[in-house]
Amino acid sequence: MSNFHNESRKILVCCGTGCLANGSYQVYEKFKKILHNNPNITIEPSIKTTGCNGLCEKGPVVKILPDQISYFKVSVDDVDQIVDETIVQGKIIDRLLYFDTNSKKRIRDHNDASFYKHQHKIALRNTGEIDPLHIEDYLERDGYKALKKVLFEMTPKDVISEIEKSNLRGRGGAGFPTGIKWRTCSNFDDFPKYVVCNGDEGDPGAFMDRSILEGDPNTIIEGMIICGYAIKSNKGFLYIRDEYELARKNMQVAIDNARKFGFLGQNILGSSFDFDLEIIRGGGAFVCGESSALMASIEGHVGEPRAKYIRSVERGLWNKPTVLNNVETWANIPPIIINGSEWFKSIGSEGNSGTKVFSLVGKVKNTGLVEIPMGTKLNELIFQIGGGLIKDRPFKAVQTGGPSGGCIPKEHLDIALDFESLNSIGSMMGSGGVIVMDDTTCMVELARYYMEFLAGESCGKCTTCREGINTMLQILKNITAGKGQLDDIDLLLQLGETIKEGSLCALGKTAPNPVLTTIKYFKDEYIDHIVNKKCSAGVCKNLTTYYIESDLCIGCGICSKKCPVDAISGILKEPHLINQDICIKCGDCFIACPSGAIKIGGANYEY
Amino acid sequence: MAKNKDNDNSSTISIIKKYPMEQRYTLPILQDIQNEYGFIPRDAMVLISDYLLLPISNVYSMATFYKALSLKPKGKYTIKICDGTACHIRGSQSIKEEIEKMLNIQSGETTEDGLFSIETVNCLGACALAPVMMINGKYYGSLTKEKVKVIINKFKEGEIDE
Amino acid sequence: MNIKINGEYYKGEDGETLLELAKRNNIDIPSLCYKKGFEGLGRCRLCLVEVNDNGKTQTVSSCIYPIKDGIEVFTNTERIRKMRKDIILLLSLRAPNNEFINELAKEYDVQAPSRYLNPDEKENCILCGLCVEACEKLGTNAISLVGRGTTKAVSTPYDDASKDCIGCGACADVCPTGAISLIDIDGKRTIWNRTFNLVKCSICGKYYTTEDALEFIDEKLGIENQEHICQSCNKRLISKKFYL
Repeated sequence: MSNFHNESRKILVCCGTGCLANGSYQVYEKFKKILHNNPNITIEPSIKTTGCNGLCEKGPVVKILPDQISYFKVSVDDVDQIVDETIVQGKIIDRLLYFDTNSKKRIRDHNDASFYKHQHKIALRNTGEIDPLHIEDYLERDGYKALKKVLFEMTPKDVISEIEKSNLRGRGGAGFPTGIKWRTCSNFDDFPKYVVCNGDEGDPGAFMDRSILEGDPNTIIEGMIICGYAIKSNKGFLYIRDEYELARKNMQVAIDNARKFGFLGQNILGSSFDFDLEIIRGGGAFVCGESSALMASIEGHVGEPRAKYIRSVERGLWNKPTVLNNVETWANIPPIIINGSEWFKSIGSEGNSGTKVFSLVGKVKNTGLVEIPMGTKLNELIFQIGGGLIKDRPFKAVQTGGPSGGCIPKEHLDIALDFESLNSIGSMMGSGGVIVMDDTTCMVELARYYMEFLAGESCGKCTTCREGINTMLQILKNITAGKGQLDDIDLLLQLGETIKEGSLCALGKTAPNPVLTTIKYFKDEYIDHIVNKKCSAGVCKNLTTYYIESDLCIGCGICSKKCPVDAISGILKEPHLINQDICIKCGDCFIACPSGAIKIGGANYEY
Repeated sequence: MAKNKDNDNSSTISIIKKYPMEQRYTLPILQDIQNEYGFIPRDAMVLISDYLLLPISNVYSMATFYKALSLKPKGKYTIKICDGTACHIRGSQSIKEEIEKMLNIQSGETTEDGLFSIETVNCLGACALAPVMMINGKYYGSLTKEKVKVIINKFKEGEIDE
Repeated sequence: MNIKINGEYYKGEDGETLLELAKRNNIDIPSLCYKKGFEGLGRCRLCLVEVNDNGKTQTVSSCIYPIKDGIEVFTNTERIRKMRKDIILLLSLRAPNNEFINELAKEYDVQAPSRYLNPDEKENCILCGLCVEACEKLGTNAISLVGRGTTKAVSTPYDDASKDCIGCGACADVCPTGAISLIDIDGKRTIWNRTFNLVKCSICGKYYTTEDALEFIDEKLGIENQEHICQSCNKRLISKKFYL
C-alpha cells in the first residue's frame, strides 16, 4: 500500500517517439480527463509528458511519483484501473509492473530492474524524468546552474581547462578529446567563430541522440552556450536530421523558453556575453553526419565532405573556426562544470572517462538505451543488462559502430567497451549502437546489407568510395546468390584495403569494416556460401533448404499450421514432410518447431 | 500533403519569400516546397534559382542529392519502411514484401490512384520497436505481417485520416 | 619552404599543393581530375602519395594537400603503387570500353577480373568533375553533378537543353576520357542536347565557336561585336606584333 494520499503526486507519461508510436499520447489525455475535478482525490496530481525512457519496446511507460511505481505497456484501457487502484487506493497493479527476465520477478520501481540497476545516468539524467517543454523542470534539476557558474565564476580559459582535465572524448564516434578541440579552436585569431551540434544521427540502430534531443533539449543548449563563451563564439547551429520531427519541435520550444528566461540572446543574465542558436533541418543524407559534409549542408551546398588536411577548428563553417560536437557530448558539459573534472574522471576507465549511452537492439531480450560507465564489459551489457538473447538462442555476433564498425564474435565477448579496446579488434565505438545477432543471422548477408546501405549513402565524390563500395556490393550479391568464387574473398580484402586508405572522408575510410571483420571472424561462412552453396543461418534463400529430420519429429503439426503456403504435410504424431517445390523458405517453421526437428541444409541438399 | 500546383505561382512565391535571399536557405526552401506539393515542381525550381540568384543547375543538384526531396509526386500516404539494421534483422524485408504485395507496387513507386507510395528508408530512430514503418510522419512499430495488413487496410478504407 | 620528396629536397611556395610542386619539378604523380589553372578537386584519388609529418605518416591526395615545411613525401612506395592499380581497376570496371581508361590500365598493368566486366557497358564518364568546374569558372553553370552515390552523373537540369549553355565546349575540352559528346557539322554544333550556330573566323574562314559563346564573352568583357578571330589566327596576330 502507498501512503501518499495527502502529498501531491506526479504522473509521468513517456511521450518519446517510441511510446508515441504505441499510443502514449492517448494515455496521457485519458489521465488528464479522469483526474480533472475527480471527487475521489484530495490533491490533484500533476500529469506530465516526458521524453524517452529508453525501454521503448515495453512502452507506453507511466511512472508515478513519489510512490516510485513504474508501469509498462500501459494502454488507454488501463488508465481507469490505475486511477482507481493506484492513485486513489495506493494499490499496485502487478500485471503492469516491469518483469525482470533475469530474476523472473515483477519489479515495482523500474530503477531496481537489472536493465536499469547497472546504469549510471549522466547524459540521460533528465530524459524521461522531466517535461522537455517546461524549462522549469530543467531548472529544478540544476538546469543552467553550470552556465551561471561559467559566466560569473570562470574565465574562458578556466572552462577549457576543466573540460580538458575531465578527459571527455567525443561521443559521436571518433572519440577525439573535446577539451583539446575547444582549446585549438580558441587559439585561432579569426572571427566570427561557430559552435555546431551534430544531430544527424544516421547509424541504423542508434537512437540515443534522438532521445536526448526530444527529452532534454536544454542540456544541449546549455552545453553549447558554455562552449561559445569558452571559444568566443556568439552563434550556434543545431543540425537535426530530417526524420526527427519531434526532436526539432521540442528543441525549438526549448530555445524559445531559454530566450524568454535570458539564457540565450544578448547580454545573457547580465554577463555582457551574447549567444544564440538556430536549428538546421537535415535533408535525408547519412553522409551529412560527417562533420565537413554537415557544414557544407548548412552553407547551402550538397553534403560532399572535404579533405581534413586543415581541420574545421581552423577553417570550418564559411571557412571560420568551428567547434562541432555530437549531441551526447554536449549533454555531458553541464554536469562536468557543476561536479568538476575529477568527478567525471572517477567514472569510467583509464583514458575513457565518464559514461556512454548504448542503444542495445536486435535479438536481445531487453532492447533500449543503456547508459553505463566506459570500460564495462560487453558480456555484462548483453547478458546482465540485456537479459540475454531472445528465446535464449545461441549468441553469434554483435555489431558496434554501425556501418563504420565491425562485428565482434563470441571469443571477444569479454572486451571492455572503450575506444581503444574496440579499435584493437577491428571494430569501433561509433555512436554506441550495439546490435545483437543470433544463429539466424547470416554474416555474409549482413556484409551485403551494410554495403547496400553505404552504396546509397555515399556522396559519390571519390572513386575509391563510390566505385569501391559498389564493386564490393556486386561481389557480395554474387556470393549470397550462390554465384561466388573463392577469388572473390581475396578481391574483397584487396579492394577493402585501398578503400580504407584512399578515400576522402570517414564514410569511405570505414566502409570496408563490416566486410573485413566478417571475413576475419566468419570466413568459414563465406566459404560455405561459395563452395558448398549453403547458408547455415537460412537467410540467403537460394542457398537454403529447410527439411525435417524424421527421427526428431514428434508429429505435433505446429509447423504445418505456421506455414503460410501449406508446404508441410503429415498426419498427427507421424513425421512431417516439407514440399520443396512449394516452400518459400520463410523459416517460420524452423523457429516454431518445439523439438528442433527442422534443419537447414544448403542449396543442393537432398533427402 | 500534396496539393494541386498553383497556376500563377503565388503560393510558391509566398513560401520562398519567407526566407532571406541567401544560398544557405536553399534546402529549407526546397523542404517547404516539398511539404506543400509533395514534390519539387519545375516552376518552383526556376523561381528559387531566380530568388536566390543561383544557377538552376545548382538548385537541381540540391533537389537530387537530398532524399527528403523528390522530383516526382508522392502518394497521398507515403509509407516509409525502415530497413535499419535492427529492423533488418527483425524481419523488415518480409514486411516490405507484404506491403508490396498488398499495393501491387515496388518500393520507390506510387500506386496508380496516387494514394500510396512505398519507400525504404534507413533507420527511423525507433530501433527498440523493430520492425518499424512510418506513414505520413506517424510511427507504427513492432510490426508483423498481420498487423501491417490491418493498418494498410484501414488506410485503404479511409478509416485513418492524416 | 623545403620539402623532401623521394629523398631529394625541393623549394615550395606558400599555398602550393603537393601536386603543383611535383609537376613543377617533373616528378611523376598520375592524376585524372587535375587540370592546370583549376583548383585541385580530390575526386579521382589517383594522385595519392604518402606524407610523413612530424613522425606521423598519412596517405593524402596531393592535388589538394597544402605543403608544409619539413614534410617528407614518398610518391612510389609499394602501398601507393598497389592503390594506384586498384583505383585504375575500379575505373575500368566502371568504364571498361573507354579507350583512355584502357590505355591507363595497360600502362599500369591492370586487368579487371572478366566476370565483373560488362562487355556492353557504355559509360565513359569517371565523375572527375572537371567539366562542371570548367562550366562554373569559364562558362555559365549549365551543367552540374546530379544525384549521389552510384547514380551520380553530370547533366543539365532534367537532361534537357539548357537555356544557360552557350556551346563553348570548355567541358569537352577538359574531359580526361572524352565522355562529352560535341559534334560540329555544317556550321552547327550539338552539345548537351542543344544545337548552336557556329561562327567563322574572319581571317582563315574556319568555324571556331558559337554565336552564343561570343555574345557571352562580349557581355563579360563589356565590349560590343568583337572581331571574329579564331585562337590560332589570334596567336599569329599577336606574335606578328612582337616581331614588329
